[in-house]
Amino acid sequence: MLLTITPMLDLEPSFTELHQRHGHLPPADREAESPRFLFALELEFTRAYQRHQHLPVALREAECLKTILPSMMQPWQKGDLLVGRTRYPLVGFSPEPGGFGFYCLEENITRQLEEQPVSPQISSEVLGMLDFWRGETTHAKTRQAYPETVRQVLPSDEWINSSGIALPVYRLAGLTLDYEKLLKLGIPGLVRQARRLSQTPGDEEAASFGQAALKVLEIVANSCRSYAGEIRAKLAAGQAVDRDLEALADALEVLPQRVPQTFLEALQLFWLYAVHSGTWNYGRLDDFLGPFLADDLETGRITEAHALRLLQSLWRLITACDCQYNNRVFIGGRGRKNETVADRVALLAIEATRTVQTNQPQLSLRFYTGQNPLLMKKALTCLGEGRTFPILYNDDVNIPAYARALGVSEKRATDYMPYGCGEYTLYHSSVATPSGVINLLKCLEVTLHNGVDPMSGRPCGLVTGDPSRFHTFDDLWKAYARQLSHHVAALAHQEKIEYDIAGREAAFLLPSLLFDDCLGRGRPLLRGGACHVGGTLESYGNINTSDSLAAVRKLVFKDRTCTLMELVAACDANFVGHEPLRQKMITAPKFGNDDDEADAMARRVHDHVCATATAQAKIVGLDSYLIVVINNSANVAFGHTTSASPDGRTSGDALANAINPSPGQDRNGVTAFLNSLVKLDPSIHAGAVQNMKFSRSLFNGERPKLEALLEGYFSQGGSQAMINVLDRRDLESAMKEPEKWGHLMVRVGGFSARFIDLPRDVQLEILKRTLHE
Amino acid sequence: MHDGPGIRTTVFLKGCPLRCAWCHNPESWTLQPQEAESVTPGQAPTILGQSRQVGEIMDIVRKDRAYYERSGGGLTISGGEPTLQFQFCKALLQAARSENIHTCLDTCGCNRTGIFLDLLPWVDLFLWDYKATGELLHQKLTGSSCELIRENFELLYQRGASILIRAPLIPQVNDTPEHLEALSAFARDYTKLRGIEVLPYHDTGLSKFERLGIPRRALQTTVPSPAIKARWKAGLHPQIIIKD
Repeated sequence: MLLTITPMLDLEPSFTELHQRHGHLPPADREAESPRFLFALELEFTRAYQRHQHLPVALREAECLKTILPSMMQPWQKGDLLVGRTRYPLVGFSPEPGGFGFYCLEENITRQLEEQPVSPQISSEVLGMLDFWRGETTHAKTRQAYPETVRQVLPSDEWINSSGIALPVYRLAGLTLDYEKLLKLGIPGLVRQARRLSQTPGDEEAASFGQAALKVLEIVANSCRSYAGEIRAKLAAGQAVDRDLEALADALEVLPQRVPQTFLEALQLFWLYAVHSGTWNYGRLDDFLGPFLADDLETGRITEAHALRLLQSLWRLITACDCQYNNRVFIGGRGRKNETVADRVALLAIEATRTVQTNQPQLSLRFYTGQNPLLMKKALTCLGEGRTFPILYNDDVNIPAYARALGVSEKRATDYMPYGCGEYTLYHSSVATPSGVINLLKCLEVTLHNGVDPMSGRPCGLVTGDPSRFHTFDDLWKAYARQLSHHVAALAHQEKIEYDIAGREAAFLLPSLLFDDCLGRGRPLLRGGACHVGGTLESYGNINTSDSLAAVRKLVFKDRTCTLMELVAACDANFVGHEPLRQKMITAPKFGNDDDEADAMARRVHDHVCATATAQAKIVGLDSYLIVVINNSANVAFGHTTSASPDGRTSGDALANAINPSPGQDRNGVTAFLNSLVKLDPSIHAGAVQNMKFSRSLFNGERPKLEALLEGYFSQGGSQAMINVLDRRDLESAMKEPEKWGHLMVRVGGFSARFIDLPRDVQLEILKRTLHE
Repeated sequence: MHDGPGIRTTVFLKGCPLRCAWCHNPESWTLQPQEAESVTPGQAPTILGQSRQVGEIMDIVRKDRAYYERSGGGLTISGGEPTLQFQFCKALLQAARSENIHTCLDTCGCNRTGIFLDLLPWVDLFLWDYKATGELLHQKLTGSSCELIRENFELLYQRGASILIRAPLIPQVNDTPEHLEALSAFARDYTKLRGIEVLPYHDTGLSKFERLGIPRRALQTTVPSPAIKARWKAGLHPQIIIKD
């Protein structure tokens, strides 16, 4: 007797159908953008959320993801050797890219409604949707949960435009997943683990976590099948045989059923999971792909040239994600399980960066004394050609430093993993989101005005005492320190709340499955699953603050050139009519010149803010709370809202970038600059960014000297280097004739960009930075 | 980066017996500190040149030790003509050497022979200027005869000094066929030279004359184009390097 077995699963509609339904086809295939299509997915998502609102958190999330994930997957594009492009709706759920947890981009939606009139019915549906989400997004719920103490210190969420010392940032960031585990288990292996979990007796949370995990893994498996169908359709319609597409379809068809075996299968499974997971820092690519490449090369399945083409295709897909602040790919370093074969992938990765020439992924090379020298050699060649990658990370300094900062063993710290703009976390086992930003220079500014923000004229922060009564430098320092602690304490508290609410509202299922030790503990990421839940705090204006304090100490309290109030008055006037005093402020000791006085003050500010943050962890109940000194052009934004400062900086001018000297203030040459940098202790925070610009003639024409320079820097405690090789003339030309300079890439801070894409004030700030020749 | 091998700290001593027509460091001519207008209009003038002790200089030089060691770098004393402050120059060279720091002396060679012999044991590498060929032209362009300079060079060379010749080339001014031939002859005949480098003319120092209130000799020349540099290369011994 013939039995017909009917699958018990819902058969997902084909991608083409979904794209037509929700209007996510590429423009050429879409009708004139009917607003109906624009919000259809968002409305459907909202209805799904409302339908499942009262389910256990993990299951609710799974149902919501079932609604949007398939529609977010974009079609294969000509030239892709892999699939996996995404587009995020304006209302939805995401750990990182689309928004924070359950999100609703109300401003965008309102703007679109204004620009494109819709039918009254749709309009009312959309407005109703906005009303619903206003109090329901994870962001809104986080703010609702602030006690009065936090609300007072953090009154505004508008950190780009409003003037303030400290502001919250609502997000999850920097989750790195255990792709090695994914590739070892494959989808079926993960399904087995999820099924076991779903059957945990006497533990409802674990069981619902497991059940929800099964659902989302099925979404990923279905994506493989749908994409396979799409590719097969393309092949059937095509004229010629396309071996790449055949191989791709073959891979996609087997991935739901077995462990990946080939380099292509491994690459594709990793990428597809990544884009479904809603994370965008990819960890140690060379290590988890190494064995697959080695096997393929040995058996002659592919050539290195083809492997390169696959990586180049991946690079383009990563670029399409369009997050210049994240998209980190790591190669090199200690602790790789398969070092020799990983090196082969690493070299190809550098070649991919060298040839694809986009500003993503942010290829990052970890190195240690004794590593295969070919990696660094190739990295320098790549940098010398004007790419801003790889970013260089010195394991010999970073491993012991991060171990100390985090309070873990050096063995554990071997898993250190910078992400985003340069914050450190532990590879697939610690959460270290920066949930707040603080402007140290503004902290000083407000202290000098006794609790008033001179930019707005309104009260801000603590009243720390009438500065005219500060008789010693120490009086000023104590007041500044009080102001700072007040804000850091509130920010730490806010971070804990943010994690708690995020954990209350979401399981973050797909990341949890590849994160230590969620499956082991039977708990999602922020509900007890993650091994280490720590926070980080982005600090800005650190160097301006120390240079300012150095100037005040010298001019007011040592040389008695002026009183503190005279100095403050000069700043208040933006130095108009106070040029001689301003000159004295400018020529006061500055960080970056290997000058003991300026550098000692930089150390003091650095040590103090780091210690203040670190001390908060125990108080608020986080595993760690550490400062990061990174940059993402926030130095320009914060500069706009900070008035003239005692380092001689005029009102509204950009702040210095991370722990780099104020632009142009490092006047003693590159070795002095490097000597200053290494004086700041890397073992008390979670990442600082060092940007260096070198002229082509130095970097390429004097390569041995350049190598000696870098070696000297790293051996003296340099933790990392973000290098940009270009000529000043190039920047100036690009500002005059941008249409000719599309290829020019610059390192802004924790990210790279096409120079001509940057706003003018950021361009000017970069131009001002010292170019070492 | 450009004053000798490896990464170096260069100390510039004031005072120079020559007045080369193309000099881009006119603030180095007089022995005394002097005033210059600020680069930024409306600001106070700056003083160029300070008095320093050997110990103070060594404190600064010492800071970059790690970079010297890795790159074969060290201390370079330049100027002006550093041997005009002979005692200081010798004391600084000795101090550096005593701390195992490699020493370079950037000199035009125009001083009493005895001085160079006295410094010889303390100098790891001489950066020796070769400015123009032909006595008349040399006088016209530098204000000095080339005889003594050449004698000093020969003597040091014979005594086994390590010498790198540096030849500024100024288009239409000193880049005569005789001069290119003379440079090539150095390469052929003085096989123990550490090298010969051509330094193409640049005009970045012109504004200093105005700021210092020093009259500048008019020079009919241009910053050399790639074509000019190619012509030089064709007329020079292949071992001669033309710097950027």
